[in-house]
Amino acid sequence: MGVLSEAMKRLSGTLRRRTAEPELDEEIQFHIDMQTEKNVRLGMSPDAARRAALLRFGGRERIKEEARDEYRSRPLEDFVQDFRYGVRSAVRTPLFSLLAVLTLALGIGANAAVFGVVKSVLLDALPYADADRLVRIYARAEDGSSDRFSLSAGAAVDFAARQRSCSRLAAFYQSTFDVTHAGEAGPRVLTGALVGAGFFQTLGVPALVGRALTDADAATDARVVVLSYTAWQRELGGDPRVLGRSLRLDGGSHRVVGVLPRGFVGPMGDADLFLPLDLGPVLRDPVRARRTHWLGLIGRLAPGVTVDAAQREFAALAAGMAREHPDSDAGRTATTMSLRDAMVGDTRTPLLVLMASAGLVLLITCANLAGALLSRTLSRRKELAARVALGAGRGRLVRQLLTESAVLALAGGAAGLLLAALGLSVLRELALPTLPAYAELSLDRGAVLVTSVLALCTGLAFGVAPALSVSRSDPQGVLRDEARGTSETRRSRRLRGALVAGQIALSVSLLAGAGLLARSLWAMTVAPLGFDPDGVLTVGVSLPSSQEYATAEARVRLYEQLEERLRALPGVIRVASASELPGPVMERNGLAIEGVTWPEGDGQPFVLYASVSDDYFRTLGIPLQRGRTFGAADRADAPPTFVISESMARRYWPDGRALGARIRLGPDVNAPWAEVIGIVGDVRTDPARPEPEPMAYQSVRQYPWGNRAFVLRTQTDPLSFVRPFQRELAALDPGIPIRRATTLRAFLADGLAGRRLPVVLMAAFGALALLLASVGVYAMFANMVAAREREFGLRVALGSPRRAIAGLVLWGGAAWMAAGLAGGAIGVVAVARLLRNLLYGVPPSDPIALGASVLTLLACGTAALLVPVRRATRVDPVAAIRE
Amino acid sequence: MTNNKNKGDLLQGTLDMLVLKALDLEPMHGWGITERIEQWSQQVLQVNQGSLYPALYRLQRQGWITSFWKTTENNRRARYYELTPAGRRQLAAEQESWERLSGAVNLVMRMSTS
Repeated sequence: MGVLSEAMKRLSGTLRRRTAEPELDEEIQFHIDMQTEKNVRLGMSPDAARRAALLRFGGRERIKEEARDEYRSRPLEDFVQDFRYGVRSAVRTPLFSLLAVLTLALGIGANAAVFGVVKSVLLDALPYADADRLVRIYARAEDGSSDRFSLSAGAAVDFAARQRSCSRLAAFYQSTFDVTHAGEAGPRVLTGALVGAGFFQTLGVPALVGRALTDADAATDARVVVLSYTAWQRELGGDPRVLGRSLRLDGGSHRVVGVLPRGFVGPMGDADLFLPLDLGPVLRDPVRARRTHWLGLIGRLAPGVTVDAAQREFAALAAGMAREHPDSDAGRTATTMSLRDAMVGDTRTPLLVLMASAGLVLLITCANLAGALLSRTLSRRKELAARVALGAGRGRLVRQLLTESAVLALAGGAAGLLLAALGLSVLRELALPTLPAYAELSLDRGAVLVTSVLALCTGLAFGVAPALSVSRSDPQGVLRDEARGTSETRRSRRLRGALVAGQIALSVSLLAGAGLLARSLWAMTVAPLGFDPDGVLTVGVSLPSSQEYATAEARVRLYEQLEERLRALPGVIRVASASELPGPVMERNGLAIEGVTWPEGDGQPFVLYASVSDDYFRTLGIPLQRGRTFGAADRADAPPTFVISESMARRYWPDGRALGARIRLGPDVNAPWAEVIGIVGDVRTDPARPEPEPMAYQSVRQYPWGNRAFVLRTQTDPLSFVRPFQRELAALDPGIPIRRATTLRAFLADGLAGRRLPVVLMAAFGALALLLASVGVYAMFANMVAAREREFGLRVALGSPRRAIAGLVLWGGAAWMAAGLAGGAIGVVAVARLLRNLLYGVPPSDPIALGASVLTLLACGTAALLVPVRRATRVDPVAAIRE
Repeated sequence: MTNNKNKGDLLQGTLDMLVLKALDLEPMHGWGITERIEQWSQQVLQVNQGSLYPALYRLQRQGWITSFWKTTENNRRARYYELTPAGRRQLAAEQESWERLSGAVNLVMRMSTS
């Protein structure tokens, strides 16, 4: 109330300033005139009288200034003064300021960087019109083995014909594929996408140049193509007359009808070319119509329909289809989710974990700074009390303290932005392969704004506590009370203790999370892969689907010739090829076993599948356990054979009679049965999962389709064989490009990148939190010891052993640490729950991770306590008492 | 010229009280207040004119006096100050505590030490 009316008076004083200034002049003039008159009456000459009057009055300007000070406030001047004072006091205590700015910069920088990622992934709009109304429909296996499965052409068409939830629906090939483009500078591998009728209309994306694909394109046989903006720029140099230009793709000619806007990314991922998808031939093929699953389906919700409602409708439709086609559709239902959720995919949890970690670090930062400022304010109590006694208003002091902390916060914020920019470039390296394709990591205006507001709020928040303690204190008492000097009050000590305990609680939660993730990553890394990935080069080769390689014989001949040539290179130990290398995303095929009917409603199980050349197992060091691997006998026209993995044999032939069993893999129910001729060791295809999955292999001669990855085990640096590889391939056919030449190690590491990101970052945040909390513990107890030095001195003088003094400080520290750990237990449970889905091979309550985090924290906390304890035991009783 | 040993400097904090007292009788301008205090103290107390005006503004801000412009008997415009009811109460309070204090000081000083 008092402060408010004061402020009102000062405010009206400011408004009155313009009239008050001449009035004050007039008043002073009147005074001087009267004095002059009096002097004249006393017998002075007029001149002398006037001089004497002026002299008596004193410095006119100074008086005006003082009078002015009494009736008006000067907000701007005050602020500038406060600001300068803030900077000056920051410079006067450089260590404190540096520490404050640095901690803040770390806290704020981490937040801004992570927010930049979260915003680009979770908050920024998808590059589609009214993207919130878009949904994606997946198939889901009812036994829970796969919840985002692709659809068969038959199912996609049935959904489109029967559903009412969406105003538009479009199918597309759920993945991208390689397309060979015969460019002017030689063959190039581009990324292609197949999109069904109405795909671009459903997304609401018009073409930038020309037109997008329309319903008519899919139905006719016209070979047309739409380019992405990037492909237009990169491959055609941004040719303005691109429309109507013809591109030779996979040996056939395609006419360019349009270019898409910049930044467009489809739900299938980044692609250069968009080709029309014609489901007609597939639907007419009884095998492929419902038994091959390769389509994605997107829809635009009709007005008023929610995602949940659409989900119910599509699930009901799927149930109907399972009844109509029990042999192909049984055991499958539908999942509908917003397109954003579908595209954000598995990155949501790690991102939220990151955001939460960064937030925790910021909280710790604030707690730390609040504590530090509080103790600094205590040591400045005399100064502040003196200023109150000299007439500084309380409000003014509070404002000044707030300005001081705001100065620190702004400096911290600016440094934090720098750190964030740095952090984002690190994150970009680390995270890009694992983020959705549309995400663009940048420190945009929104992130900067949020950071600045964050910095200011932080500054004000941690400035409030000391400011309040000043406005409560009694200046006379403080000034007079020499003896108690800078001792903390019980209340402020408890506040600081709570701040320290809070920091410990937050740190232990973060450390536990980091520990769990690190243990899980460790489990993934050390679990044997099942093969030897070192010293192996892998190179992708995709044959164009042109006339020349249309037959199996032609393809196999090329593969064998290439292997032959590579094997002859000096330094190459072994050569092999496979349709796919072990990786997180591999082809799966439906399994049928002769004489076995899958239980009703479960549907067919799917196993991993690859076609390999004879030397594949030896090249990668996958051990043969029973039977034989492929050899010359497994010709294209010989009876089909399979080699299966150990875990597949164990799962489907628990009686151990896998060898010689007859199986069929794939959609074609009329294909001949194939014999299992060998059992090889398990391979962990997804390095992020410690458990291997069942897998079946077929000879490349019996299944030469799809892309091929060549593997070369070499004596020296694998990468030095890339050029020789290119030479040998060009000698066979200069029109075939290679792609993704890398070491097998690097290829596998890419598969783990997504797992490593949260571990690295959370460990970094955990270390940061640990450091900050240790500083907090140290600062609090160093301060406490300094404040109670006299008391300790007295105790020693009265005969208390120094051990007891050390115990006093230690117990104080232990009590607050225990309180922090108790609070941290709640945090640990929350973190473990949040991380549950990210953990592999480690239970969320893993005692090693949790124990290690608690011990680390205790060790650091104790180390931080030791310095103050030492100081407490060395108090000189004589000096303390004489003081 | 005015620094005479018989002329006392105003004790810190007493100026405000004296100003209030000077205005107790009737509203007065700044010059008049100086004159009145010097006159009443028989020229012993000299008001430092440099601190008078800040004091006047301070008292105004505290709500103990108000001011208005008026023409003097010599036909000049001057700012007059006037006690508010709050100022009158403040004066009474300060007068009482002053009397107690000065009485106590007098008691001490008159004590014969022989």
